[in-house]
Amino acid sequence: MYCRRFFFGIAALVGLIVLLSDGVAVAGEPRRGGTLRVAYGNEIAHLDFHTAPGYEMMWVAMNVGCGLVNITPDGKFVGDAAESWQLSPDNLTYTFKLRKNVLFHDGTKVDAAAVKFSIDHLMDPATKSGMRSFYDPVHSVEVLDPHTVQIRLKQPYAFMLHMLAAYRTGLILYSPTATQKYSLEDRKQGKPGAVVGCGPFRLVEWVKGSHLVMDRFGKYFQPGLPYLDRVVIRVIKDPVTQMAAFKAGEIDFIASFSPEHVDTVKAQNPNAQILTGKETTPMLAAMKVTVPRDSKPMSKDRAPHPIFGDLRVRKAVGCYGIDRQEVVKIAFKGQATPWVGMNPPGTLDTVDVNHMCPYDPVRAKAMLAEVGYGPQKPLTFELMTNTEKSVFNVIATVIKEQMARIGVTANIRLVDKVSWMNTTLQDGPWDMYVEDLLSLITLDSNGYLSNTTSTWSHPRHADTKVDDYYARYAREMDPGKRRALAKELQEYMADKLYWNNISGSPFFMIAQPRMKGYVYNAEFEVHYHKVWLDK
Amino acid sequence: MRVYVLRRLLQVVPTVLMITLVVFVMMRSIPGDPVVALLGDAYTEEDAVKLRQSYGLDRPLIVQYLIWLGKLLQGDWGASILSGRPVLQDVLIRLPVTLELIVLSMGVAIIIAMPAAIIASVRPNTWSDYTAMTVALAGVSIPEFFLGVLLLLVFSVGLQGALPSSGWVYLPGTCPTVVCITGAWGNLGHVLMPAIALGVGRAAILTRLVRASLLEIVRTEYVTTARAKGLGEGRVVLKHALKNALIPAVTVMGLQVGFLIGGAIVVETLFAVPGLGTFGIDAILARDYQQVQGFVLLTALTFVVINLIVDFTYSFLDPRIRYGA
Repeated sequence: MYCRRFFFGIAALVGLIVLLSDGVAVAGEPRRGGTLRVAYGNEIAHLDFHTAPGYEMMWVAMNVGCGLVNITPDGKFVGDAAESWQLSPDNLTYTFKLRKNVLFHDGTKVDAAAVKFSIDHLMDPATKSGMRSFYDPVHSVEVLDPHTVQIRLKQPYAFMLHMLAAYRTGLILYSPTATQKYSLEDRKQGKPGAVVGCGPFRLVEWVKGSHLVMDRFGKYFQPGLPYLDRVVIRVIKDPVTQMAAFKAGEIDFIASFSPEHVDTVKAQNPNAQILTGKETTPMLAAMKVTVPRDSKPMSKDRAPHPIFGDLRVRKAVGCYGIDRQEVVKIAFKGQATPWVGMNPPGTLDTVDVNHMCPYDPVRAKAMLAEVGYGPQKPLTFELMTNTEKSVFNVIATVIKEQMARIGVTANIRLVDKVSWMNTTLQDGPWDMYVEDLLSLITLDSNGYLSNTTSTWSHPRHADTKVDDYYARYAREMDPGKRRALAKELQEYMADKLYWNNISGSPFFMIAQPRMKGYVYNAEFEVHYHKVWLDK
Repeated sequence: MRVYVLRRLLQVVPTVLMITLVVFVMMRSIPGDPVVALLGDAYTEEDAVKLRQSYGLDRPLIVQYLIWLGKLLQGDWGASILSGRPVLQDVLIRLPVTLELIVLSMGVAIIIAMPAAIIASVRPNTWSDYTAMTVALAGVSIPEFFLGVLLLLVFSVGLQGALPSSGWVYLPGTCPTVVCITGAWGNLGHVLMPAIALGVGRAAILTRLVRASLLEIVRTEYVTTARAKGLGEGRVVLKHALKNALIPAVTVMGLQVGFLIGGAIVVETLFAVPGLGTFGIDAILARDYQQVQGFVLLTALTFVVINLIVDFTYSFLDPRIRYGA
């Protein structure tokens, strides 16, 4: 009887151990399976990854597609389709060795020919890719063997890997087979079969305005990944609805959340993961510097802007007249960094030049008087902003009030995003605008926003010294010398106020406590392949 | 009657065409075009000019309109300039969603308005009357968006997800895409709050109108005669008076469809419902001309057809009304 009890006890204990271990993961051990439900605040434009604008498309591209390299939050490069790479001693040739087990979702191999095809496609003017200008330093792409590809540069380019990893989508490899079989319109529409990548998820369906579904790609080159079965992305534009859906547990992850509602989400969901970091997007109160002398948009014959063509007025209004601390306190509830430098606080080689533009309304008034503005001749200008983010209007309102303190009248003109783009890109009439443009992983990626030749250089300054700075910075391979150049450039821009930063523009992502494994890397890298759901 | 019907149907065509022409011109008067949105941060003036040429956006307005019309007559509604998706395909996916929302909103309005109006009219200048009218005033004063947010906060957030906050579940057998959730209860759960947000304002208007109409009808001689004959009050009001009181209400209900479509834009955006409303507003904001034309065409057709049905309802409600005489 004693033996029977003993054996029963052992059996019960073993059974209990088996029961407890079955379905109970070791703490921190990823679980396979489940559907991640993601909310976007804006619509995906279309699904041709090489040409579509907007972060929402990029974040899909980063999961459906793969590239050569990725970048970690601390700035290290890790291989994606490339397992290793080398830079030649003359800094002109990158040689990438590709992994042998990388496949596109259509079953074709990711080889050197596919890499060459993809880069050539991006560089082709007929493609009209927004990334084309990033490949200006590239001379050619050569296939050495099926798993070795070389990118040859015209001149040394210090940010080649940054560009391949994270300028916009980074390089997204296209399947030559699928690209030749399907048309651009097929890809844009998101026809399954046409949108083919080599990433951890394959596109199942995209219904514009409703949802985008991507499923695990069973032959992804990283064994065991992704953990998730499926990712479903829905567009929920209103932040109140996003909060309600998150609180109700209907969504797991909000990919980009409105900063002014973060405190409410925290209060409603104490266990929610609020993911953020140092700002990598600048919030600008840009001032127009030149206008076409002959009234023809984009004319090379420029005249100073009637108000902000004078540096003293730019300094009075944009430098000493704006209280950046107050803007941050009111518009962002303190959740941003007051910042003068063109490079946001979280961007590589950023420099704090706030001391160059302290808030000084007395000095602002004195400078305006020097130019002839005062009670007898009040300065009035138009402050344009757009409806893309509600915070723009708040900032504009605060600036308006601050202008009134120095005797300046700022009339706010609120337009929608396309109207704003139309005015600024086509050299239309504007004085100052508030906007946050786009996020910058390096100062170099800002080049196409501030070179004299760029359509996106809205202030239309004609100072080629800026172009020269960018060119030298991009070619300087020594990090120390590069940082010194970056400092010079940022101080120069702050002195000339071709860029007038107010603050960083904070970026927030919100995740349910059960969502594990996500690595925050601002807007640059949004990857779900290591995400798992702890349910 | 047949002649009348044919004449009314023929009138639909120039009406709808005029609407599409006006919107066509208006859209092109707004700053910006779809090429700006399409190119985004890839925008260069050179590429923009080439794209405009390829989409025919550099041609004279009247030529663009006639080309669009010509394709429409062949059944081609065009494709979204931004996404390349066929407009007709997207419209047909979204139309049932918005139709369901509009019909249910009107149902909500009728369910609220009819009893309230009847009670208010049979007991005028009493607390029942004052209550009904106050609630009606409140209903018409609250914007759909605000009511929608209140409903969200109460039913989705406050009651721990009693009703879903956003999205859509299709009725069984109506899934238009590869991946979607279907279910009658799920559909009801998703449509309830948007329908209430939209319907309450309409209920308020209907309540006031039906009450006023009923008050007038109950004083007529034939109603007095019905009472004198010993008919119960309920029968007098519901069988004899209400039918005639509904004629102006039916007219207003037809006109309300226009407001419902407009309100659907706001409510669908708030509740992230994948209907025609969000389709239309996205198209306008992106200057996607083809999508806007498709949205306007369908909306105009819906409005005109519903009002046609409303007109035909009159002869059912009042046999004295005949057409084609």
